[in-house]
Amino acid sequence: MHLRIDDITKAWSGHTVLDGVSFQAGESDLVCLLGPSGCGKTTLLRIVAGLTPPDRGRVILGDRDITALPPRDRRMGLVFQSYSLFPDMTVAANIGYPMRLRRESHAAIAARTSDLLARVGMGDLHARFPDQLSGGQQQRVALARALASDPAMLLLDEPLSALDPAIRAQLRAEIRSLQRSLGIPTLMVTHDQDEALSMADTVVCMNEGRVEQVGSPRCLYERPRTRFVAGFVGKANLLPTTLVRDALPAFLERRPPGAEATFELCVRPEDLTIAADPHGEGVVEELTFLGSLAHARVVWRGRSLLVELPGRSTLAQGEAVTVDVSRGAWVTT
Amino acid sequence: MKRSLLPGLPMVALPLLGLCVFFLHPLLSVLMRSLVDDGGTLTLDNYARLLDDPGLPRAAWHSVVIGATTTLGTLAIGLCVAMALHRSRLPGKALIRGALLLPMLAPSLVLGLGLVCLLGRNGLVHRLTGWPTDIYGFWGLLLANLMYGLPQVVVIVSAALERTPARHYDAAASMGATPWRQFVDVTLPRIRFALWAAAFLVFMETLTDFGSAVVVGGNYRVLAMEIYSEVVGQRDFAMGATLGVLLLAPALLSVWLGRLARRRQDLGDASPGHALRPEQHPWRDAALGGVAALAALSIVVTLGTVVYVSVVRLWPYDRTLTLANYLGGMPEGYGPMATSVGMSLLAATVGVVGVFMLSAGLRRLPGWLARPLQVLAALPAAVPGMVLGLGYVLAFNHGVLSTWLYGSVAIVAACSLYHYHAPTFLTMQTGMRRVPDALEDAVAVCGGDTRHVLRDAVLPFAAPAAISAFFYLFMRSMVTLSGVIFLVTADLGLASVSVMRLDENGFLAPAAAYATCVVAAGGLALGAMRLLLHTLRDRRHVA
Repeated sequence: MHLRIDDITKAWSGHTVLDGVSFQAGESDLVCLLGPSGCGKTTLLRIVAGLTPPDRGRVILGDRDITALPPRDRRMGLVFQSYSLFPDMTVAANIGYPMRLRRESHAAIAARTSDLLARVGMGDLHARFPDQLSGGQQQRVALARALASDPAMLLLDEPLSALDPAIRAQLRAEIRSLQRSLGIPTLMVTHDQDEALSMADTVVCMNEGRVEQVGSPRCLYERPRTRFVAGFVGKANLLPTTLVRDALPAFLERRPPGAEATFELCVRPEDLTIAADPHGEGVVEELTFLGSLAHARVVWRGRSLLVELPGRSTLAQGEAVTVDVSRGAWVTT
Repeated sequence: MKRSLLPGLPMVALPLLGLCVFFLHPLLSVLMRSLVDDGGTLTLDNYARLLDDPGLPRAAWHSVVIGATTTLGTLAIGLCVAMALHRSRLPGKALIRGALLLPMLAPSLVLGLGLVCLLGRNGLVHRLTGWPTDIYGFWGLLLANLMYGLPQVVVIVSAALERTPARHYDAAASMGATPWRQFVDVTLPRIRFALWAAAFLVFMETLTDFGSAVVVGGNYRVLAMEIYSEVVGQRDFAMGATLGVLLLAPALLSVWLGRLARRRQDLGDASPGHALRPEQHPWRDAALGGVAALAALSIVVTLGTVVYVSVVRLWPYDRTLTLANYLGGMPEGYGPMATSVGMSLLAATVGVVGVFMLSAGLRRLPGWLARPLQVLAALPAAVPGMVLGLGYVLAFNHGVLSTWLYGSVAIVAACSLYHYHAPTFLTMQTGMRRVPDALEDAVAVCGGDTRHVLRDAVLPFAAPAAISAFFYLFMRSMVTLSGVIFLVTADLGLASVSVMRLDENGFLAPAAAYATCVVAAGGLALGAMRLLLHTLRDRRHVA
């Protein structure tokens, strides 16, 4: 189903956390709300779930305005960061809970529960209690429970943040493939850019209660529109217009019109090429070896740049280099 | 919006009504009565009358002196006992813990009763040695109050000691701090506020305690005794109310200061780290162990004497052993005991349900509304039982509610419940804080309403707190005396009051038998609570 967020505004005791947020999500898309903590993304998710009423604006699902609907009538499946399983119910009882609330028949509950258990790969653990499960297993159960109510939409609130990095990567892929196979529209909140880039069809990048940019992960990475998006999604070198005019005049022609300070050129570390040259204008200040890659901090024209190199690069610290820029995007400051 | 703006309001409505009718209303009645003369006109004459009787300023001075000495004494001894329990390698810690539990199970006057039987003019020590012992007065009262206050200090200080992780001591030791410096630099700063909180609690309890004063106070008259005499002896309610207000002021102050101290209390580290294993230190263990053993022994001997006296034929003249006191020596039989149990069950049941609804509802209210209500729910801690009891007499002996309430079990239960409302509420609130917000939201999203939230999300986490609160209310209601002393009638006896009446009339052995029954009932309740909490920890239900 199609989700439309229309001009949502919310303030907590005078402090505005959401300021006129609007965006749309496609039929069976996974949409990531990405932003630093305190940007309002969780509040927005809770508004969609019906747990928090907005001060202004509308939430429209399909062709229904659900803004005033209580959570139980919205048919949303919600997965929290942690601690949301009933501690005194088994895995199977936890998953069956929403169906029991709707007084479905025992047979129907049992059948659906075992189907969901199989889908999240927890079939043999149905009789365990939550405190006998690992964090990753608990989140699988929470996911199954969220799907049990046959939801119109799946809402994930930082579902992987409390997990170990290895489990996190694995669950990322599992959630993604589950979501694709069910074709269920999904809204996921995260502050982890890798998570957003690797999972989402559409990323909504938020900052201080406003939407900074909406687009595919690739679009956000390659064509960030604002300085915030450039810095929050991936790593960025931001070059002021004066520097670009002196050193990289070729990029000036695509610069949107505006005062000197209103735009900066965002250059990704992998779009910079450096080569050893005794007459080069740059100097390698610091090298960090990362295995397949290496990061170099290069001082060039009075600025410090982050450059990505192959891990095998033979450059040494203190070496003079030439700096070349292959591509860049203009962002508003 | 279909949802109510204040979803917690229906839940807190009834408990709040209870607080208004059975706490605020009696309290204001006392205040009003102290401010009007017999004709009903506003006046400050009652306060002026305080000075007419030289006995009253003296009683006030006595109350302050006994309060201060008891506080200092229990703090010193309590610190040693808590250190012995948590910072020594002393064997037999369980015995000390067990002994310290005893005073909490007994009405305060039972300790006084034990002291009288042991060290009174005709006490056991005098009978056995011929020494002229006379415990009545300041020293007897001090001893009884020390024994009564000690366990509470130990509980509060122990909690603070348990929260100090071992790594702080490891760090101090690695920098070369001696055990004494570790005590000064690590231990003391972390229990400072606990000590303050304990001090204010003990001061308040001693100041307002009536049970010990009536049994061993003798001619050392304190304010609580004066209120009792004015109300019961001379039927001078105005004077009783005025003295009550006088007692309320320092009690309010010390509870407020105690709360401040508790709020400043160090909550401990997020990661408690591994438990502390005290180093070998024979001198420290001997010193702390000596104090702890002496304290535990005093309590055991005092209460042991009560049990001993309860099984002799005619104390102190005929000391042949007999069960006669249990089988027929009590003038009213076990009736008051049964009434006490019934009343306590009523108070505990209604209290726990009310406090559960109140604290669950307060979580759903906005802060500006919840905070003043929390203060109201905790306010009874600052009201001496005797003042509340007097308020009940003034508020409910006449008027619309009196036909239902006068002389009923319900009114005594209400008085016990609201006298001990604050600790019950705080226990429940602490339990509620363990309920994860995500779980409550999960129920709402799954399609549950408030009923389901309470049953499936709140109750599993708050159940241990509810059980503790229930048994706390039950045990306190069994032993309370000061709150209910004005409410008992000829037809409505209570166990703790029976002990006092029997003692007043010189029937020491039946009084002791009754006291033993009360302590035993308390012990049974405590055992039941521990068992229940233990099974709950292992319980899992498959829905």
